[in-house]
Amino acid sequence: MKKIHIPKEEYMVPGNLACAGCGSPIGLRFALKALGEKTVIVIPASCMSIIVGGFPYSAVGVPILHVAFATAACSASGIRASLDMQGDRETTVVAWAGDGGTFDIGIQALSGAAERNDDFIYICSDNEAYMNTGIQRSSATPYLAWTTTTPVGNPKERPKKDIMAIMADHGIPYAATACVAYPEDFIRKLKKAKGIKGTRFIHLLSPCPAGWRIASDEVIRVARLAVETKVFSLYEIQDGEAYTINYQPKGIPVEEYLNTQGRFRHLTGEEMAIIQENVDHQWSRLLKRCEG
Amino acid sequence: MASKITYASEMEMPFSPVSSGDMSWNRTGTWRYIRPKYEDKTPPCNAACPAGIDIPMFIGLVGEGRYDEAWNVIREENPFPGVCGRVCFHPCESHCNRADYDEVIAINALERFVADQAPPLEAGSPVRGRREERVAVVGSGPSGLSCAYHLAKMGYQVIIFESLPQPGGILRVGIPSYRLPKDILDKEIADIQAYGVEIKTNARLGGDLSFGDLEEYEAIFLATGAHVSRKLSIPGEDLEGVGSGLDLLRDINLGKTVHIGRKVAVIGGGNTALDAARAVLRLGGIPVIVYRRSREEMPAFDEEVSEALEEGIKIQYLTGPTEIIGTNGRATQLECIKIELGGEDETGRRRPVPIPDSNFTMEVDTVIVAAGEEPDLTFLPEDIRVEGKMVSIDKGARTSEKGIFAGGDMASLDRTVAHAIGFGKRAAISIDCLIKKRDVNSVLQGVQVGENGILSMAKYLSEVTRRRSPHVVAFEDLNLDYFEHAERNERVKLPVSERIRDFREVSAGLTDGQALKEGERCFSCGVCNGCENCSIFCPDLSVITDGGVVKYRINYDYCKGCGICIAECPNNALSIEKEAK
Amino acid sequence: MKRVISGNKAVAYGVMLSRVQVISAYPITPQTTIVEELSRFCAEGKMEAKFIKVESEHSAMASIIASSVTGSRSFTATSSHGLAFMHEMLHWAAGARLPIVLVNVNRAMGPGWNIWTDQADSLSQRDTGWIQLYCEDNQEVLDTIIQAFRIAETVNLPVMVVLDAFFLSHTSEVVEIPHQEEVDGFLPRFEPQLRLNPDDPRAYYGMISPNYYMEFRYKMQRTMEETVEVARSVDEKFGHHFGRTHGLIEPYLCEDADVVMVTSGTVTSTSRVVIEQLREDGLKVGLLKMKMFRPFPMKEIKGVLKGVEKVGVIDRNISFGHGGIFAQEIRSTFCNEDQRPMVFGFVMGLGGRDVTPEAVEEAIRYTLDNPSPKEEVIWIDLKR
Repeated sequence: MKKIHIPKEEYMVPGNLACAGCGSPIGLRFALKALGEKTVIVIPASCMSIIVGGFPYSAVGVPILHVAFATAACSASGIRASLDMQGDRETTVVAWAGDGGTFDIGIQALSGAAERNDDFIYICSDNEAYMNTGIQRSSATPYLAWTTTTPVGNPKERPKKDIMAIMADHGIPYAATACVAYPEDFIRKLKKAKGIKGTRFIHLLSPCPAGWRIASDEVIRVARLAVETKVFSLYEIQDGEAYTINYQPKGIPVEEYLNTQGRFRHLTGEEMAIIQENVDHQWSRLLKRCEG
Repeated sequence: MASKITYASEMEMPFSPVSSGDMSWNRTGTWRYIRPKYEDKTPPCNAACPAGIDIPMFIGLVGEGRYDEAWNVIREENPFPGVCGRVCFHPCESHCNRADYDEVIAINALERFVADQAPPLEAGSPVRGRREERVAVVGSGPSGLSCAYHLAKMGYQVIIFESLPQPGGILRVGIPSYRLPKDILDKEIADIQAYGVEIKTNARLGGDLSFGDLEEYEAIFLATGAHVSRKLSIPGEDLEGVGSGLDLLRDINLGKTVHIGRKVAVIGGGNTALDAARAVLRLGGIPVIVYRRSREEMPAFDEEVSEALEEGIKIQYLTGPTEIIGTNGRATQLECIKIELGGEDETGRRRPVPIPDSNFTMEVDTVIVAAGEEPDLTFLPEDIRVEGKMVSIDKGARTSEKGIFAGGDMASLDRTVAHAIGFGKRAAISIDCLIKKRDVNSVLQGVQVGENGILSMAKYLSEVTRRRSPHVVAFEDLNLDYFEHAERNERVKLPVSERIRDFREVSAGLTDGQALKEGERCFSCGVCNGCENCSIFCPDLSVITDGGVVKYRINYDYCKGCGICIAECPNNALSIEKEAK
Repeated sequence: MKRVISGNKAVAYGVMLSRVQVISAYPITPQTTIVEELSRFCAEGKMEAKFIKVESEHSAMASIIASSVTGSRSFTATSSHGLAFMHEMLHWAAGARLPIVLVNVNRAMGPGWNIWTDQADSLSQRDTGWIQLYCEDNQEVLDTIIQAFRIAETVNLPVMVVLDAFFLSHTSEVVEIPHQEEVDGFLPRFEPQLRLNPDDPRAYYGMISPNYYMEFRYKMQRTMEETVEVARSVDEKFGHHFGRTHGLIEPYLCEDADVVMVTSGTVTSTSRVVIEQLREDGLKVGLLKMKMFRPFPMKEIKGVLKGVEKVGVIDRNISFGHGGIFAQEIRSTFCNEDQRPMVFGFVMGLGGRDVTPEAVEEAIRYTLDNPSPKEEVIWIDLKR
C-alpha cells in the first residue's frame, strides 16, 4: 500500500469556515506543514479570506495579512521588503491566492513581482472559477465547463490560461504544479521552494465541491483523477526553462474525469473527444518542454 | 479551545481589525448532516477462516516487521500458526479481494513465516487469572488442543487424555512430515503446554479410562476425531497387501517399519489418499491413485494434487475398483471399471456411473484404501445422542448431556485442521459460558466474525477491542488508488528429485524480504491499518490520532461530515451514518 | 543647510530625513522627479531603504500597506490618475490604521490628458479616511513630510501631503534642509503598537461583520476629530525644534476684514500679494490659507471667520453638480451657526490654467461688490 507521509506539526486550529469537503483548507494545512511556523501568509479576496475566519479570529497559527483582491503578490513584496529592513531573513512570505486573484485580477501585480523576482512563495489555489462569489468563470475555468456566467448554451469557448508557461517565461527560479490529492509532492515542492530565493510559484489544483458539482467526499478522488487523466500534470520548472515531470500519470481517458463532475454533465461525446485531444496535445507539449 | 470574543463597547475593541483569538470556538460540527465513524468491518479472509484468525491484523504487523506481535495476533484465535501455515487448505486465500486486482495474498505462507520466527514459549506463561475449575479434554488432535489452549489461557485447569503414545491426533499420525515436520508440531504443542495444559498419553476412553473417571470435571470436551477407515465393500478387501491409508500414515508417523510393495494402488481422492500415495513414493513404491471422479471433484487440496502430479504420481481418474484379486491370499491384481459422470448427487458433485463392460485389471502388490474416514463412537455412553455416525451437537458444541461437549471430526463433516481448531475454540467459549452461567447462544452471536459462524476469541475476551461490523468487505468497497500492482510472493519448493528421496519438508518458508513485501500487499479489507489518510485529508482537523487499539477518533465538535475520510480510506474502515437531529 | 530646490526634491529630502524604510512607487508626471531622487538616494546609500519599483500605483499602495503593517516606515508618491488608481487601497490603508505618508502632486484628471495642476485628484479621495495637508511652498513641503510621519504614527491614520503640479513640484525655491540629527530628535523611530510577525501570529484585517464594522468607523472618525489637535501640537513642537511652524490654517490680515478669501496650495501666495495690494488701496480684505483639509478644522475656521461678513472661497476643483469643494465645506461649517458669513464660491485655475493676480482680484471685487453671490458657482477666467 502506498502510505502517505507528511509532517505531523499542525499550524491550523479547527473551526474554519470552508464548505464541507473544500480542498482549500487541506492545501493550506499541507503548506504550513511544509513551511513551518516562521511563515506569514498574504490572502487576497478569495474563498480563503472567508475560510480562515473573520475579525477577531484566525484559524491559522501563523500571521495572516488579508489584502485587496488584486494585491497578493505586491503585498508579499511589501512584507518581504519590510522584514528585510528589520533583518528578518528567516521568515517565509507566502501569498495564497485563488485562480481569479492570480489568473485574472492579480496577474498584473504577480507579473510585476515575478519580473522583479521579489522573494516570496506564491501559491495559486486553483478551483477553476470565482467560487466565493458563486461560481463565475475565470480565465482558469476549463474549456466548456459550466459556471453561472457560462451557462449551458453559452459555453466558455476558450481553454484555461496556461499560467505556468506565463510564470515560467518570467524566468523565475522555481515554478511547480501541485494537487491536493498528492500531499507529499506538494510538500516536497514547498520545501524545495523554501530553500530558493526569488519568486517561487506553485499552481495548486484544489477542487470545489459546490462549483464542480461533485459530492463533498469526492474532492480528493476527483483531484487525483485530474492528474491521472493528464488534465492537470504534476511538474516543475527551474529558472523558467528546465521542465521536470514529477509524476507519471496512468493516462486514464479524460471522460472518466469529466463524468465525475456536474459542471461537465452537458458535454457531448464529440466535445469530450475534443477535450481529450486538447489534453493529449497539452501533454505532448509538456513532454517536448521536458526534452528541453 | 478558544472561546468566542464579545465586545460590549468600541472601547474594548482594538483600533484596527486584528485578530486576538482563534476559530476553535466555532463548532462546525453543527453543520453536519452525515456522520463518519470508524467501523472496522469483516475482512473476507477472516470470515472464511474456520479458525477465525484476524488475518489483516497479523499481516499488517508483518508488513511493519512486527513479527512477534503478528504471532500473538494469530494465537489469540489459533495456537497452531506453524501447523496451519503448512497444512491449512487456506479458504482465506480463496476469498481474498486481491484476486480481483492481481493475485491473492499468500496468507498461508505468511502465517507460516510468522510462526517460524517465534521462539518457544517458556513454561508457566501467564494466563488471564487462575481458576479452580477443571476441564477434561478427550483427544489431543487440533480440536482438543485448541479447546485446551483457550481454556488454559482463561485460567482453567485442563487435562487432555490421548489414546496414542504421542499427542497431536491427526496432526501427529495423519499428516506426513514432508508437509508437517514433527518438530513444528512438537513446538506448538509445547507452547500449549506452557499454559499449564496437562496431556496424558496412552489413555484411551473406553479402554483404561471410563466415563465415570471424568465425572469429577466441570466439563468434558470430546474430540476423538475420525480414525476408522471406510471400507470399499468389494471382494478381496481382506487379502494380504490390502491396507488403509490412515494405518499406513499412522505407522510411518509413529516411526514403525513399514513394508510396502512396488506397484501400489491407492484408492480414493481425498487428502489421505494423496498423502498415502506420496508417502509410498518416498518409500520407494510406484503409486497409482485410483479415483472415480475427475480432478475437479477431488476432495484433496488442489495444491496437494498438484504437488503429487509434479512428483510423477499417476492418477487414474474416472475409475472405480470392483475387486481385489489375490493369489495365495495376497493381492496381485485390482479389477476396475471405467466410469462416466452423471447428474449431481446430494453433495453437489457429479454422480459416478460405471460404464458397462469397461472392466480392466491392473497389476498390484499393494492396495491402499483411502475412501474416507468415520469416527469411532463405540466408547460413548448411550445417552449421548448420535446422528449419522457423528455425535450430535448444537451451536455451542454441546452434546445431549449437560457438561459434555464435542467437536472436530467426530461431530462434523467439515474435517479440516482449521475447522477442528475452530471447534475447539467454540467449545472453550461454550464451556466458559457454562461455568460462568452465561447464555451461550447470545454470547456466540456477539462474537461472530461475519455471518457464517466463525468466532473471535479476541472479541469474546474483550468488550472494546476490535469490534467489527459483520459486513464482509467487497472488492468494490475499497479505494484502490492507494494500491499498486505487485506480484504474489511464493514459497520455494524443493526440486522433485530431492523431495521424493525422503520425508523432508517440501516447501521452504518465505524469506524476510518476501514476507515484508507480501505483508504490504494486503488490502486490509475493513480493518484500519493506520495509514492516516483520514487524518491527512481532513479539511477540519477533526481526525484525532489516539495511538490506541482504535487508532483514530473523530472530533464531532468540528467534523462537518464531508466524508473525505471515508472516501480516502483505502480499507473501508470507516462508515457513514445519518446525523441524529 | 539652505538650498535652492524644487518641490519634488523637497519631498525627497523630507522622506530621506524621515528615515523611511520602505518606498514603493510608480512614475507619473509630475511626480517622477520624486522617485528619481529617492532612487538616487537609495542607490548612493544616502537612504537605508527598500525601494520596490512596482508596476502600478495600486501595487505601490498595496505593498506599503504590507510593509507598514510589518513595521517599517513606508512612503509613496503619485499624482492624478495614479492616485485614482490607488483609490481602493487608500481606503484599505486608512481602515487598516496604518501611518503611511503619501505625497500627491495635484494634477488634473483626464480625459483628455492634462498633466497640470488641479485638485480634483486629491479631493476625490476626501472620504477615504486620509489626513490631507496642502502645501504652499517647498519649505512647507519638506517640513510637512516630516510632520506627517509624526502625526500619522501618533494617530494611526495615513497622511496625504499635497503640492501643486509644476508650481511647486518643478519650481525651485530656497529651502532650509534640516540636519538629520535634528530630524531624528523630532521624529523618533517607528514603533508600531502591532507589528505583523511570526512571533505574534494574528490575522490582520479579516472580514468584519455588521456587528463591529461601525465601531471601527466610529473610531476612525473620533481619531480624525482628535487629529486636529494632534497636528496642531506636532506643528508647535516642530516650531520648537526647527524655529518655524506652518499652522493648520493660516489667517492673514483677517482681524478687521470685511471680506476674507479662503485659498489652498500655491493660489495662497498669489492671493497674499493681491490682498496686500488691495489693503494698500484701503480695502479691508483678509486671507485664510487652508493647509489641513482632512480632518476639516471647523473650530479653527470658525474662530477666524465668525463675524466676517463675506467669505470668498477659491476652488481649483469642482464637484460636478454642486460646486467648489472647499466652498461647500466652509458653508457646511457654518450652517448650524446663527452668525454666519455669506460664502461666495469661485472656481478657477482648473487643469493648470494660471490663477493670475487679476483673476484673484476679480473674485475679491465680486465678493466686495455683491451682497450675495449671483450664482452658486462663480467661474472666473472662463471663456463663456
